[in-house]
Amino acid sequence: MQRNELLWVEKYRPKKIQDVVGNEEAKELFVEWLKNKRHTKKAVLLYGPPGVGKTALVNAAANEFGFTIIEMNASDTRSEKAVNAVAKPATSYVALDNFSGSTKSSGNLLFLDEVDGIAGNEDRGGVAAILKIVEESLVPVILAANDPNIDKLRPLKKVCLLVRFQQVRIPLIIALLQKICLLEHVHAEFEALERIAQNSRGDVRSAINDLQSLSETNRTLTLQDTVVLTSRNKDVSMDETLRGFFSAKSVAEASSLLSYSSVDYDDFLLSVSDNLPRRYMDPGELAAAYDFVSQADVFRGRIGTENWHLLKYFYNALAKAAAVNPQSYKPFEFISPPIRVMTLFWTKSRRSMLDAICSKIGVQCHVSKETAKEDFVPYIKEILIKQKKSPLIAYFKFTPEEVDFLIKMSRF
Amino acid sequence: MVIVLNKNAFKLPRVDREKFISLMRLGLDYNRDQGVFSIKSYNNIEKAMEAISSILGGSEVVFLQSCIRCGKDFPCTNCNYIELCNTKNLPFSCVCPQCLRDRKQFEEYLEKF
Repeated sequence: MQRNELLWVEKYRPKKIQDVVGNEEAKELFVEWLKNKRHTKKAVLLYGPPGVGKTALVNAAANEFGFTIIEMNASDTRSEKAVNAVAKPATSYVALDNFSGSTKSSGNLLFLDEVDGIAGNEDRGGVAAILKIVEESLVPVILAANDPNIDKLRPLKKVCLLVRFQQVRIPLIIALLQKICLLEHVHAEFEALERIAQNSRGDVRSAINDLQSLSETNRTLTLQDTVVLTSRNKDVSMDETLRGFFSAKSVAEASSLLSYSSVDYDDFLLSVSDNLPRRYMDPGELAAAYDFVSQADVFRGRIGTENWHLLKYFYNALAKAAAVNPQSYKPFEFISPPIRVMTLFWTKSRRSMLDAICSKIGVQCHVSKETAKEDFVPYIKEILIKQKKSPLIAYFKFTPEEVDFLIKMSRF
Repeated sequence: MVIVLNKNAFKLPRVDREKFISLMRLGLDYNRDQGVFSIKSYNNIEKAMEAISSILGGSEVVFLQSCIRCGKDFPCTNCNYIELCNTKNLPFSCVCPQCLRDRKQFEEYLEKF
């Protein structure tokens, strides 16, 4: 990829701390902590809404002070075993570079992004392992979270210096856009930049993307050029987006529609998948379209919650699914909301009833809910069908509704 | 009434011991020699502002912003985007309306880097 073809969000990714826009107090506090070798707190927890520069600041600081970042984020499994495997070696030794005197390396820096996302069985023991690493680490440990007020992070908050990030303000975004325009030789009207900044709602990344898309063909940018941006703020329903998407005449048209729509990406992906058999009658076209949806799904997984620079590949793959054969489009009734979402909604009461039953079995038999569901429920069901007043009912403290549910349930 | 304060040094009426301790816990600092408060930590700033406001008889409290370009202090009330801003008064650095419009000053600012 040539330099001038780079996305501006990549090209102007902060290389130095002063390049990170806004949050001056947070930057100052963080840098002071990082420079101080005898930290009073062993780790730092950066918290605040997404897209305000937490990760950018860590990367810029590491670049400026010569740290090598060892990073774990939400896309990695962060169980006790996984955390110890990655973080322990990184934090137990001081890099040999430090003693050579020939390089500017300051050693390793452990960065655990999105720690509030550590959850479920996959990440079991993760918080305790992080806590231990923070206490024993010989290198700086930096944690980042969007919501620091969740219960499981309480022990981590006690050992961390808390640094709060705020949403980036409109004047600061305008200032950044002015700087980019100057460096890219784009002559932009102040009102146009103002509109882009207001439209971004504090998200620097989307503001830069909008600026690039609007000034790509023409090196002058007027307020008139930004009229298309208003559509991002409109509440376009899923049905309208699906209609526009499936009737698109080209990949570019579908892709552009996606980039200006505010529907949830995951729900939209599921809806496209549900509606493809109604859109393409030809099995070959349908298979080709599903291939593209599958590619889009792969990119969505890679994007996770932070690699938003990959979003254009997600749009592109999904747009290709809409434009396998544009000529064959005939209006049809859309399936919306997604079948998967609706199935979860319809079965919610049944799932919670089964969950309550499994909890009761688990308490009496000292097993997990999953084991109760797999190994106990089928047999208890058979017993109850044969003997409706079985002593098991009193033993497990089942309610009459739960007994009725167990007898009538067809599948697990 | 809106009271504009400077984050680095502002005076408050004398408060009792408990209120003073709670202000310190909310992130304020007190300079005994000069008898002025300042903001030390920004993590509980909203609660700190509420506490200061109640000490000042319920008046709205506004902190001065420092312009990252010219370094001058200015209040948020001068900003054109105050209605759209989710972080009014906080943090304490922004770009003042004059610098935002003044292209010459902006180019001078860029030359520093």
